[in-house]
Amino acid sequence: MMSRRRSAAGQPRRRISLRTMGGLCLTMAFLLCCPLLHAEEGIPELGKITIRDLQDTGDRPASRAAYTMAAGNTSWRGLQATEGERENFSTFAAARQTPPDEYGDVTAEDVGEAGAAAKESADEYGDVAPDSATAAKPQVQIADPLRPFNVAMFHFNDKLYFWMWKPAATGYKYVMPQPFRQLFSNFYRNLTAPVRILNNLFQGKPGYAGEELAKLLINSTVGVGGLRNCAEECFGIKGRNADFGQTLGKWGLGPGFYLVLPFLGPSSPRDGFGFLVDWALRPQTYVGTEFFDYQNVGLFVHEKINSTSFRIGEYEALKKAAVDPYVSMRDIYIQYRTDLIENR
Amino acid sequence: MRKVLAGLMIFIISMIPLHAFAASALDMVKTNANSVLDVLRDPKLKGDAGKKVKEQKIEAAAEKLFDYVELSKRTLGLNWNRLSMDQRKEFVDLFKTLLRNTYIDRITAYTNEKVEFTKEMQLTETTTEVQSVVTKGNTTVPINYRVIKKGNDWMVYDVVIEGVSLISNYRTQFRDILGSNPPQVLIDTLRKRVGK
Repeated sequence: MMSRRRSAAGQPRRRISLRTMGGLCLTMAFLLCCPLLHAEEGIPELGKITIRDLQDTGDRPASRAAYTMAAGNTSWRGLQATEGERENFSTFAAARQTPPDEYGDVTAEDVGEAGAAAKESADEYGDVAPDSATAAKPQVQIADPLRPFNVAMFHFNDKLYFWMWKPAATGYKYVMPQPFRQLFSNFYRNLTAPVRILNNLFQGKPGYAGEELAKLLINSTVGVGGLRNCAEECFGIKGRNADFGQTLGKWGLGPGFYLVLPFLGPSSPRDGFGFLVDWALRPQTYVGTEFFDYQNVGLFVHEKINSTSFRIGEYEALKKAAVDPYVSMRDIYIQYRTDLIENR
Repeated sequence: MRKVLAGLMIFIISMIPLHAFAASALDMVKTNANSVLDVLRDPKLKGDAGKKVKEQKIEAAAEKLFDYVELSKRTLGLNWNRLSMDQRKEFVDLFKTLLRNTYIDRITAYTNEKVEFTKEMQLTETTTEVQSVVTKGNTTVPINYRVIKKGNDWMVYDVVIEGVSLISNYRTQFRDILGSNPPQVLIDTLRKRVGK
């Protein structure tokens, strides 16, 4: 019964579907042929492509060299193993199996080093061409003329961390519950609001300066003297970190050279000076009677131990990842600071 | 007739180039990262045995996601050309082991971090940057993956954490070694470093 009814009802439907399917087929075929038609129209375009192709192969002698190199290796190996033809064949087959240029030579472009040269040459006269701007970023580097001093300071700070900061922070973490450490962290951060407000202004970011001002006002009142970061938690005001070294960088001043400061860690003349300016902008500084005395430095040490208690293990991880910890830290410093200045 | 048309239809559809459906770089990284996160958050995988399983799964995912040869080339830069073919192969192997040993513990230590993939940004014709933000407590860390198109897949060749590029960091270190030493010294240093 069912099947009969279906076929009876299906008869007219089938015709429609035949027609629609045919139509669909035609449309699809037409759409697919469109590019072909277009290609036929633009025959000169084809010529362009071949030229470009030729240029392309000219640009990449590396892969060819790699291939000949692989082949050379094989024949050399083959000469060594003249006794067994089978061995010879198998080495050849093995060489053939690996993609010829996977391990081949590279050009500066392949490894993203060409961008550096292009940018340097264009940099002298200001604007960077969009091409080189979108190309792989050139490597950021910092001069290190005081290397022996810096290495000594690196080891000093390293020992300082393992013998002083880390045990102090661990002990502190043990006796001070997490919520209290968070309160201290919020409190100190709220106090240093002038540093961020002014530097955001100096960097031409009045919007963020306003956000930081709002945070200061909200956290000092609703957040009970800055103990709670209510501006962010209740109102979602994020604000923006800013320091004077970064401001100088935004103004176009380079870092100068690498300088590891005792107690403070990786820095440069620019950022060291920036630290002094920020120190002057911190209200905590004026707790003492002098610019540096046991009171404001003492507060700074507590702030540092408090913040270290949240980040035990981070320095160790960075050091563990490095092949040469000193060079690695120097590179992390300059990459991080450059990113802060250029991208944030 | 109908069958013929249907067959024709299937034929035509099959003509549409497949790469039109290739996943975007962001989706690719996201899918792989999420599969790793699922493994990490699996409550059944606990203790030493669970950690072993986790490590194996992460390694398998990393193998699919990372292009270690590309990564090595970009890390060595033009110094790559100074290495012999055998040294290149050994370098790739040692560097891979170094990265594995360094990061596997940190990855398995992941627990309640929230990972959010925000956007992708084309760098060059073949490379793209996939940006993500990792949130733990009230700290956020931007982590960007630089990927290169290899056939139909996107392979990671660099990871940028808070503006610090992994390959740039190693490149500076290796350049420092290679500046005054032959490539074999670098290989020996790495060999010692990974304990081989």
